[in-house]
Amino acid sequence: MLGQLDFSIVGPGLPFIWIGLLFSLKLTLVAMSGGIVLGTLLALARTSSKVAASRAAAAYVNTVRSIPLLMVILWFFFLIPLFTGAPMGAENSALITFTAFEAAYYSEIVRAGLNSVPQPQRFAAAALGLTKIQALAHVVLPQAFRNMLPVLLTQTIVLFQDTSLVYAIGAKDLLKAAEITGKNYNRPVEMYLFVALIYFSICFCLSTLVKCLQKRIAIIR
Amino acid sequence: MSMIEIRNVSKWYGQFQVLADCSTQVSKGEVVVVCGPSGSGKSTLIKCVNGLEPFQKGDVVVDEISVGAAKTDLPKLRARVGMVFQHFELFPHMSVIENLTIAQTKVLGRARDEARERGIKLLDRVGLKAHAAKFPGELSGGQQQRVAIARALAMDPICMLFDEPTSALDPEMVNEVLDVMVELAREGMTMMVVTHEMGFARKVAHRVIFMDTGRVVEEAGADTFFGAPTSRRAQQFLASLKH
Repeated sequence: MLGQLDFSIVGPGLPFIWIGLLFSLKLTLVAMSGGIVLGTLLALARTSSKVAASRAAAAYVNTVRSIPLLMVILWFFFLIPLFTGAPMGAENSALITFTAFEAAYYSEIVRAGLNSVPQPQRFAAAALGLTKIQALAHVVLPQAFRNMLPVLLTQTIVLFQDTSLVYAIGAKDLLKAAEITGKNYNRPVEMYLFVALIYFSICFCLSTLVKCLQKRIAIIR
Repeated sequence: MSMIEIRNVSKWYGQFQVLADCSTQVSKGEVVVVCGPSGSGKSTLIKCVNGLEPFQKGDVVVDEISVGAAKTDLPKLRARVGMVFQHFELFPHMSVIENLTIAQTKVLGRARDEARERGIKLLDRVGLKAHAAKFPGELSGGQQQRVAIARALAMDPICMLFDEPTSALDPEMVNEVLDVMVELAREGMTMMVVTHEMGFARKVAHRVIFMDTGRVVEEAGADTFFGAPTSRRAQQFLASLKH
C-alpha cells in the first residue's frame, strides 16, 4: 500500500505550502507576543490588592480556560460580522481570537512566575526606595520571566500546534494549504504526511531548545 | 535630636497581636541593639521603621517624617534609610556592581558613571572590589552580606537598619560582617540593629532594647543591661545566651 504513495507532487506544491507555513508562524508569533503582554497584565491584575481588578481578571481567565479553543474560533468568526456588519476575514479573526485566548493561558504561567519570586526580594527593592512599578520592572519581572521561560516556550509549542484549528474557518494556514494542494493534485495523504513532518520538525526543535534552556537556567540558579 | 522615634506602635495579624504599645527612639549617631527571644516582634518592629510592615496604631517618625501618615512618600523616605536583611536579598539576576547601582540611578537619578564609581568605592571599603563583576550566587554568605551593606550605603542613608544580619551566616563568616558594622558604628552612623550577637552589642551599642511577646520589656545603656538587667525575662534571656 505504501508503495502507491507518490511524493513527487510535494515539489510543485511547495510554494503554496510555504505561504500556509508563514501564516501559521505569524499566527503563533502574534498570539505569543500579544498573549504574553496581555497575560502579564492579567496576572498583575490578578495578584494585585485591588479586589475589582483581581476579580475581573480571574473571571476572564477562568471563563476562557473553560471553553474549547475551537468553539471560540468559530464564535468569534461568525459573531463579529453580526455586530460590525462586515466580515473581518478568517486570518484577522484568527489573529485576534488566538491572542485573546492564549492571554488567559499565559497569564496563569506568569502568575506562577510572579509567585516564584520570594517576598523578601520585593522588600529589598522597596527598602532601596524603588517604587512598586520600578520594583516590578527591575527586580520581580526579570526574575519571574527567567524562572518561567521553559514553561512559556512549552506553551508556545502547544500554541503552534493549535494554530491548525483555524482550518475550521478557512484561514489559509499550513494545514489548510496541505488540504488544498492535496486536492489539487489528488494526493491528500502525501500532503498530510508532508505537513505532519513539518509540524513535527518545528515542535521537536523547539522542545530541544526548551531542554537546553532548562539546563542553563539551572546553572544560573 | 531624635533620628528615629517609635511612638506607641501596635500591630496585629488578624486577632494575634505582634507588637504591643512599643515606644523607643534612636538619636542621631546612636547605635541601638534590639534583642529578645525569637517571636518577640523585634524583626517586625524594625520593619515598621521604614514602613515595610504596616502597623495599626501609633506612629514612627524618621527624621521628622511620619511613616504612618497616608500622604508620606514612602519610597522617598526608604531611599534615605538603609536596610540590611537576614538573608541578604541581593538581586540574583544582577551582578554585584549592578546591585549597587540600580537604586542609585533609578531612585536618586545619579549618572551611571557616578553610581558605578560610588559602588566600586564602597565595594573596596568592604573588601570586595575584585568581585564587582560576579553574580551574588558566586559569593559566600559573608561576602553577600557585605555587598548588601555596601548596597545600602551607596544610597548615602541617614540611618541604617539591620535585621539579624548575621543569623543566616556560617559561624566563621560572622566576624567579617560584624567588623564592617563596628567600623560603621565608630564612624558615627545612626544604627538600629536586631541581633543576637551580644559581643557586638557590648562593643558598640549605646543602648540595648529587650523585647518579649511584642513588648519593649527593658531599655537601658549597654553596660547597665549586661551588668544588671532589671526584668526577670531579660535575666533569663542573658543567662540562656551564656550556655
